[in-house]
Amino acid sequence: MQTTIYKQCLLALCLITALQLLSFQAAAGPMGFKDSFMAMGDFNNNWRETFINYAITPRDAFGISATYMRSDDKDKTRTLEELTYTRLLKRWNMPEAQANLWFIGGIGALQGENEQIGKDDDFDKIMVTPGVQFDYETTRVYLAATYRFYRANDINHDYSSVRAGFSFYETEYDKTQPWFILEARNMNGLSDKIEVTPMLRLINKSFFVEAGVNNFHEPRFNFMYIF
Amino acid sequence: MKKLYAIIFITFFSQAAFAVQTIKANVNGMVCAFCAQGIEKKMRALSQTKDVYVNLKQRVVAIELKEGQTLSNDTVKDLIKDAGYEVTSIEITDHPVAHIKAELQEKKEAK
Repeated sequence: MQTTIYKQCLLALCLITALQLLSFQAAAGPMGFKDSFMAMGDFNNNWRETFINYAITPRDAFGISATYMRSDDKDKTRTLEELTYTRLLKRWNMPEAQANLWFIGGIGALQGENEQIGKDDDFDKIMVTPGVQFDYETTRVYLAATYRFYRANDINHDYSSVRAGFSFYETEYDKTQPWFILEARNMNGLSDKIEVTPMLRLINKSFFVEAGVNNFHEPRFNFMYIF
Repeated sequence: MKKLYAIIFITFFSQAAFAVQTIKANVNGMVCAFCAQGIEKKMRALSQTKDVYVNLKQRVVAIELKEGQTLSNDTVKDLIKDAGYEVTSIEITDHPVAHIKAELQEKKEAK
């Protein structure tokens, strides 16, 4: 109980910090432009996700996703294969900034395994994963907050994350721009801890990669690619 | 004879000047190269396009057209909207993209 309160307080603190940064100055989003495919990957020891979607309009994308999740003690493992839908609910295009509100959701098959002494428990369930993301970006500042339900019968692995970062300097459109990004996230029911990962992000007009080491000394790698 | 040379020179010069047509759009929300790549891809996919230049800091997209080609402002606005951005103004210039690029870079250095 105390751990849960601690987690919620820390996430609230991160969110407040992110919102405070907005007063200084206000993408990459979860889908590309109309008629484009976007491939994404997010990998560390306990969370491995691959995702591809196709934007049928400037605001709607359908895709498929495969996710592997594991608890900190390695006793629980989950795999999830989903059909996904991404919707740009609202975009604010400002002279020197862009902000977005996204709906991200999916439905799919969850396979789980809970290892217990003398009794292993395997199961298959239908999981639904509706969520929202808000992000705000300038050429120098990036902020994002995500909350996504991961629910099945008797299962709650809700995902929450906040991100804040800045670019070291501005670059031309066709040059690679380095960013520092700090992320705090948690997956309910799989970890009692907040995973905090400082990452180096490199953005180019052709690619987007992030790499870092989290507070458990584990490596993390993310990428996005639009084609 | 001198008059004839002058007419030939003027005719050639004016044709060269009108040969280049570039559409310069000011765009809101363009803050990230990875996200703005859609604008460049959509513009380059047009048969009328010779060259495209994107400047994030100055919020400019410049589309140089092939000789004799035209492109309506509405088409440019719609394509940029499809890429997720908003056009605030459009102007037509007879400068090539290379000139606009140099001009904007000069402006940046002056700051």
